[in-house]
Amino acid sequence: MKGLNAPDVDRRRRAMEPFVRETFGIFIRYLYRYLGNEVECEDVLEDVYADIWENPDRLRDVESERQLLRTVYLYYMRKRLREVYKRMNRHLYLSQNDLTNLTAPELGVLDTMSQSELKQALGRALGRLKARERRAIELWLQGMSVRAIANELKTTVGAVKMLKFRTILKLKEMMSEYCHDQ
Amino acid sequence: MADMNRKIQELLSDYAGALRDGCLPIFLQSLTRQEGKELTSSRDFWEAAEVVRVLNGVGFADKAAIADAGLFASRVDANIASRLKKAKSSPRAKHTNGTRSMTKTRKAEKPI
Repeated sequence: MKGLNAPDVDRRRRAMEPFVRETFGIFIRYLYRYLGNEVECEDVLEDVYADIWENPDRLRDVESERQLLRTVYLYYMRKRLREVYKRMNRHLYLSQNDLTNLTAPELGVLDTMSQSELKQALGRALGRLKARERRAIELWLQGMSVRAIANELKTTVGAVKMLKFRTILKLKEMMSEYCHDQ
Repeated sequence: MADMNRKIQELLSDYAGALRDGCLPIFLQSLTRQEGKELTSSRDFWEAAEVVRVLNGVGFADKAAIADAGLFASRVDANIASRLKKAKSSPRAKHTNGTRSMTKTRKAEKPI
């Protein structure tokens, strides 16, 4: 963060390289949640860093990694994320508001947790699920399609979708509880 | 006529699949008017969508082919250089067509 708030543009530009090296992994993994596509993540992040260079004021009082992620998402990433699918809106049956909520939502309870905290919370929550529910989520996380999961669990595609939906809502409740406890 | 619109659990499953496979635009385009309305009114969908994004980040971000930070830093530097160049080449781009606001024109006029 050193030199990032300097008034001189060239000094700020020099300060960007160590900042990018330090934060790239954190930011790109965070963006991946919303886009699920490496190429799009890199394109968005490139503009996010350039925006930070242009106007770094928001980062002046940042003290922790969590605060940094939150600030960067709210003031830099979110704006760029909204732009990714904005042009599609005229061809969609989805209101602008819903599109924004889907692609660049407000920060929820879980969004403010770091990657390691989330892994821990998810691990605990998975442990509390019923065997069948846990299996469905684990298979999903292994990259299997719904049809393949249905074959594995010896049930129908519709039943797997329902099971997944209910399990995800359960996970949300459990992870939010964990987050409040922390 | 049979109702071909997907139910909320199917929409969530398709959203999760699209996010995992990195093809969200295809999911967005696949939505019908009725499904769009269904999404708007379903609180459960939005709650579940938050977890789906978390699962996507926790489960798949580490496996994604992420570029080298050093190489990416030079890409950012090129973007900054291009912004600097743009800023230097058109400092008063707003007035290139000769139009000015009335207030500014009045200010520029010398008092007699």
